[in-house]
Amino acid sequence: MNIFFYELKANVKSLLIWSFIIGLLIFMAAAKFSGFVGDPEMAKIMDSMPPAVLDALSMRAFNLTTITGFYGIMFIYFGLMGAIAAAMWGSGIISKEERDKTVEFSLVLPVSRSRVITAKALTALVNCIAFVLITWAISLLAVRSYSPDQAFYDFLALEMQAMFAIELIFLAIGLLLGCAMKQYKLSGSAAVGIILATYFMSVISAMQKDLDFLKYFTPFKYFDAGELLQTGTLDGAYLLLSATIVVVCVAAAYWFYNKRDLYI
Amino acid sequence: MSVIEVSKLTKYYGKSRGIVDVSFNEEQGEIFGFIGPNGAGKSTTIRLLLSLIHPTSGSAKIFGKDVTTHGPEIRRDIGYLPSEVFYYEGMKVIDLLKYSASFFDGDCTQRMRELSEYMELEMNRRISDLSYGNKKKVGIVQGLLHSPKLLFLDEPTAGLDPLMQRKFFDLIRKENARGVTVFFSSHILGEVQRLCNRVGIIREGKIVEISDIRALQKNNYKKVCVTAKELKPADVKMAGVTNVQTDNGTVSFFFKGDINAVVKKIGGMKLEDVTIEEPTLEEIFMHYYE
Repeated sequence: MNIFFYELKANVKSLLIWSFIIGLLIFMAAAKFSGFVGDPEMAKIMDSMPPAVLDALSMRAFNLTTITGFYGIMFIYFGLMGAIAAAMWGSGIISKEERDKTVEFSLVLPVSRSRVITAKALTALVNCIAFVLITWAISLLAVRSYSPDQAFYDFLALEMQAMFAIELIFLAIGLLLGCAMKQYKLSGSAAVGIILATYFMSVISAMQKDLDFLKYFTPFKYFDAGELLQTGTLDGAYLLLSATIVVVCVAAAYWFYNKRDLYI
Repeated sequence: MSVIEVSKLTKYYGKSRGIVDVSFNEEQGEIFGFIGPNGAGKSTTIRLLLSLIHPTSGSAKIFGKDVTTHGPEIRRDIGYLPSEVFYYEGMKVIDLLKYSASFFDGDCTQRMRELSEYMELEMNRRISDLSYGNKKKVGIVQGLLHSPKLLFLDEPTAGLDPLMQRKFFDLIRKENARGVTVFFSSHILGEVQRLCNRVGIIREGKIVEISDIRALQKNNYKKVCVTAKELKPADVKMAGVTNVQTDNGTVSFFFKGDINAVVKKIGGMKLEDVTIEEPTLEEIFMHYYE
C-alpha cells in the first residue's frame, strides 16, 4: 500500500495538468458551440461538405446544431486525451524509476517486482478513473446553459464509459511498454506513436470501405461515437476484445518486468 | 555459516562482459573486501546479488536462499549503499526515510533518529537540495535503519569528507561487532585494508585472488628500497626480484624468497639508505594488475 499512496501523491500534479487541459478544451469548444447552436445555416454548411471529410472527422452521424450532436464530435478528443494520458501514466509510472535512477533504492526494498507493478498499476488506474470523472463533471458544468434533455445525459454517460474503456486499453499498453522496454526513454514515445498510428487507422478505415477491416486494430473504432448514439449501448464484442487486450498486455507486463534486467 | 555463496556466477550484457565465473563465499560476521578497478564487475556482482539484474549462468545464494527466486524475502535483511545515491527528488529526507522504513517489520523510528544524529543529517531538507555527500549520508541512514543482517557497500566513501569517512567506518565496525556481515566493494585499497578481514580481487570480470588480508600482505613479499651512488636497476637483478622501479637514485623492488639472499646482495653495496618493509595492499594490488 505504501507504494500505491506514494505514487498517488507523486501523480497528483500530472492529473491536475491533464484535467486543466481537458477543462480548457471543453470550455473552448462549448464557447464555439454557442455560435451555431440551433442555427439552420450551420446544418446547411455541414450538408454541403464532402462526405469523405465528414467520415474522416466522424461527423456524419451528428447534427451539430444540437448539444448531443456537438458532444458526439467531442468524443474523439476525449478518447484521444484519455488514451494519451493513460498511456503516459502507464509507461511513465514504471519507467521513471529507471529514468531517475531510483531503482537501486525502490527495488532493493523487500518487495517483489510483481507487487511494485500491482501498486503502480492501481495508482494509474485511479488516475484514469479520476480523469473520466473530472471530464464528466466539467462537461456537465460547461453545457448547463444549454439546458440539455435526458437523452444528452444518457449519451454523455455512455461516452464517458467508452472513454474509460479506451483509457484502460492504453493504460495496459503503456504499462506493458514501461515494463518491457529497457530503453526507458523510448517507452513514452512508443506509447504516443501507437496512439497516433491507431488513431489514423481509425480515420482511414472510416474513409476507405475496403480498409474497413482495420477497425479491429484500433480501439478508437471499438467505441465510435456515431454508433454509440444510434445503438445507445457499448458493443459487446468490442468490449470483449478490449478486455482481452487489457488482460494480455497486463499479463505480459508482469512477465517481462520480472524477467528482465533493470536498467541502472 | 556462509551468508553469501556465489558459484560460477556469470553475467553478459548482450555480448559485452559483466563478470565471468565468479565464485566466493562470505561467512557470517565477516567484512569482505571486494577490490578492483572501475569496470571490473564489482557493481555487476552486487546488482546480481540484489537481483536487480539476472545472471546469464551460475547461481548465488544469500542466507542459503537463491537470489533470483527469493529476492524479496532476502532483501528484508539486507542494507545497500549504492555508489551513487538516487532518491525521489521531491521528497524530504524524513519522508524518504519513513517511506523506506514502512517496508520493514518493526519500528525503526528510534534507530532512524540515532543514525541521522550520528551522521549529522538534516531531516527536513529536500532530497533535491542536498549535495552529493549529504545524499550519501541519507543513503547510509536508509541502508541501516532496518538493522539489516547483511550490508552491501559499493564504494561507500565517495563524497564523504575525511571526518565523515571516519565516523562511517566506526559505524560499520560497530555494526560488524553486533554480528552484521559486510560486503565492501571499493577501489580504494587503504580503506579496505583498514576494515576488511578478507579480500577478493576482481579484474576484467574474473576473480584473480581471494585471500586473507594479512596473508596477502605477508605472502613473503617484501618491499625493498635501496639508495646508493650510481645504482642501476640491473644491480639488483636476482631470482625473486620483481617490479623494479627507479626514482631519483633510489631503486625499489619486490622480493619474494629467502630474505638472506637479498640482504647479502645489498650488503655488498655502498649504501646511503635502505628500507625493507611490508608492501601496502595498494602496491600488491598494482602488482596484480601488471
